[in-house]
Amino acid sequence: MRMLSVENVSFLYENSAQEIMSKVSFTAEKGEFVSIVGPSGCGKSTLLRIIAGLVQPSSGRVLFMDKKVEGPNSKMSFVFQDFALLPWLTNQDNVKMGLSMTDLDDDSKEAKAAELLDRFGLGGFEKYYPNVLSGGMKQRVGIARAIASDPQVLLMDEPFSSLDELTAETLRSDIIYMLENKNISVNSVVMVTHNVEEAVELSDKIIVLSNKPTHVKRIIKVLWKRPRDKRSSRFTDIMDQIYAALAQ
Amino acid sequence: MMMITRKDLYYISSANSIMDLLGLLLKLVLDTSVSWARMFVALGVSVALSIAAGVWMATSSKAEKLMLPVVDVLQTIPILAFFPFAIYIFVAVLPGYIGINAAVVFLIITSMVWNMILGVYESIKTIPKELAEVARLYHFDIWRRLRRIYMPACFPRLVEQSILSWSIGLFYLVTSEIFSIGNKNYQVGYGIGPELIKLAQIGGGYYLLGLGVFIAFVILTRFLFFRPLEKYATKYTRQRAQAPKPKLEKRMITWLETALPRRKVEFDEKGFLIDSGGAAPRKPAVRRRVIKVSTLYTALGAMILLVMAYVIASSPTLRGYEIAAFIALAATFARVWLAFLVTLAIAVPVCVYIVFMSKRTSQYMLLFQIVASVPATVLLPAIALAIGGGALHGEVVAFIIFLLSGIWYVIFSVVASVKTLPSNIFEAQKTFGIKGWNAWKNIYLKAIVPGLITGAMTGIAAEWNASIVAEYFTSTGITGSTNILSSVGIGIGKLLDLSLAAGNSGLGLMVIALLNLVVMILLVNTFVWKRFYNRIASVYR
Repeated sequence: MRMLSVENVSFLYENSAQEIMSKVSFTAEKGEFVSIVGPSGCGKSTLLRIIAGLVQPSSGRVLFMDKKVEGPNSKMSFVFQDFALLPWLTNQDNVKMGLSMTDLDDDSKEAKAAELLDRFGLGGFEKYYPNVLSGGMKQRVGIARAIASDPQVLLMDEPFSSLDELTAETLRSDIIYMLENKNISVNSVVMVTHNVEEAVELSDKIIVLSNKPTHVKRIIKVLWKRPRDKRSSRFTDIMDQIYAALAQ
Repeated sequence: MMMITRKDLYYISSANSIMDLLGLLLKLVLDTSVSWARMFVALGVSVALSIAAGVWMATSSKAEKLMLPVVDVLQTIPILAFFPFAIYIFVAVLPGYIGINAAVVFLIITSMVWNMILGVYESIKTIPKELAEVARLYHFDIWRRLRRIYMPACFPRLVEQSILSWSIGLFYLVTSEIFSIGNKNYQVGYGIGPELIKLAQIGGGYYLLGLGVFIAFVILTRFLFFRPLEKYATKYTRQRAQAPKPKLEKRMITWLETALPRRKVEFDEKGFLIDSGGAAPRKPAVRRRVIKVSTLYTALGAMILLVMAYVIASSPTLRGYEIAAFIALAATFARVWLAFLVTLAIAVPVCVYIVFMSKRTSQYMLLFQIVASVPATVLLPAIALAIGGGALHGEVVAFIIFLLSGIWYVIFSVVASVKTLPSNIFEAQKTFGIKGWNAWKNIYLKAIVPGLITGAMTGIAAEWNASIVAEYFTSTGITGSTNILSSVGIGIGKLLDLSLAAGNSGLGLMVIALLNLVVMILLVNTFVWKRFYNRIASVYR
């Protein structure tokens, strides 16, 4: 089943004639983990924001479950690089913000937010503010907020690049667990990253973008069960393919 | 209330011909130039003082420990209330016009210099260690250090703070000029302030012309004097890959805000945002040491107060003064805080609309900057005359002036602090569909809190500053006879005015009134603002 379909998306800034993104197309199927890699400044984050409905494309369209994306909706959620937690809200209230588009009553929202924090190992931190948390804990709050509304697609913008490697590794397996667990709503993940190894470790499909204007250089499918052995030659082969595509 | 008739005004008998109008215009330009001369002298002195003090504080830890708390406190004291006292002292020492003008310039300096000192101090404090090591390696003497290291490092901040100081200074200039009209012994002579009072009494058209000239001077100064300096300053900022903060509202940053933990936003050469994700520019270690010294100062102050209290209590005359001063202070306190509550009721929705909802934030800000460049006290004569008599006339006038004096600080400070928030917060708001009351409660009203506190402190200080003219306003100096245009029943501003008019016999009352004022401000700082600050500082990071 097709969750997400990006069709000929182009983008140029207002008052500018030069296209910075040209006809980007790819799809994300049910159960798929899709990574978008590319040189820095190539508009990966803009592409993800277009998919989320935060930014309107200049031409082309994004379909979510065969319906055109016109703006943010509760079935597609977003995880930010710098967490984007509201510093003046407690962790629980931050997670509650993820339920803004649902029509649960306030008590149910409270309960659900507390339950999610607990599930991510943050039980006891409900009434604290984000600034007492470490980076990894903050991102857990960010992920809890993102999946609070039971989204089917999770969009992640460099979600692990502000974290140390050990924390990042744990969170990566959390995400894979969510994707593979049938009881959790998330059916598909699209992640922007500059970390090629991370992309190979997690993805079923890797979209390699190139610069000026941004376009799809290559789509690499990885049909390989996770977890994947990073020291195997198969792993390094795929990495080499990506580097080769980036270098072209 | 007595009005001045047209024939009292010596310089316009009938300004209906073009030549008369041109003559009036020329006079206005000359008068404003005189006022501006006072401002430039004050700015020059302030620049010199701030470089000397800032460099000294940044390079000597002793000076830093001793002076930082003093500068912090002086910033929040409504120094204009000391104007009557300053006039008294200066005129006692220097003859007539010279004395009074020296008092005005001195007052403007005290309004300008504190944030400039902090600006210089902070930018020198943040010079990379390597540069100091280079200076030591090559045996730079103090002049070469100043020229090659300190000046380039602090120049951009100095320009930025000068622009802020200039607008604060204008308020002091006009207020002190207008104040001087109240007493024929202490007239400032030429200046746009007295001129506007005269014009306000003739009629709306002339007054608006005067106001127009004033605003034209403000705008011309901004573009012909400060803009080139800003451009010159970018020469130094580029080297550090940090462009100047381009908007005036960003400069409306005051001491609390520099002390608040802020996200550092930097720009590269092309003006693109570099997300450094860093924390507050000011070092917490310095703060902590400073707090220790401020406790020392507090203890010292408390001891002085105890002695004063003893002296006052033991003399019946002084006891009478103290009671009068206390009642007057309480009355003004009620007025100032009522005006502030109304300010909040207006400013909060306006700020939320402008920063979060409107797409034309920068256009609104430009408009506000121009409107805010007109010190509220310039409008005093027009307001006092426009609002007819009635029992509460003086109260209404004081209220309006207080409101107009404080509101811009609140608005500019809120806008500046919201701009330092990372933009992904607003993306999160959109992604998760946080709208309506949910957005007001959880985002808008909370995001503005740090700016609101800074704005409140500075805005309320501006209200206290305005009290010396807002509560009691006469044109005695022009007409020769006592001509009260507006007066409240009782208030600390009025008390200070009247005690100055009483000459030597009023001095005791004046000093006691000022002591009461300062103690009140320090108490509010400690028990209201510091608490607020501590509470939010642990969260807003």
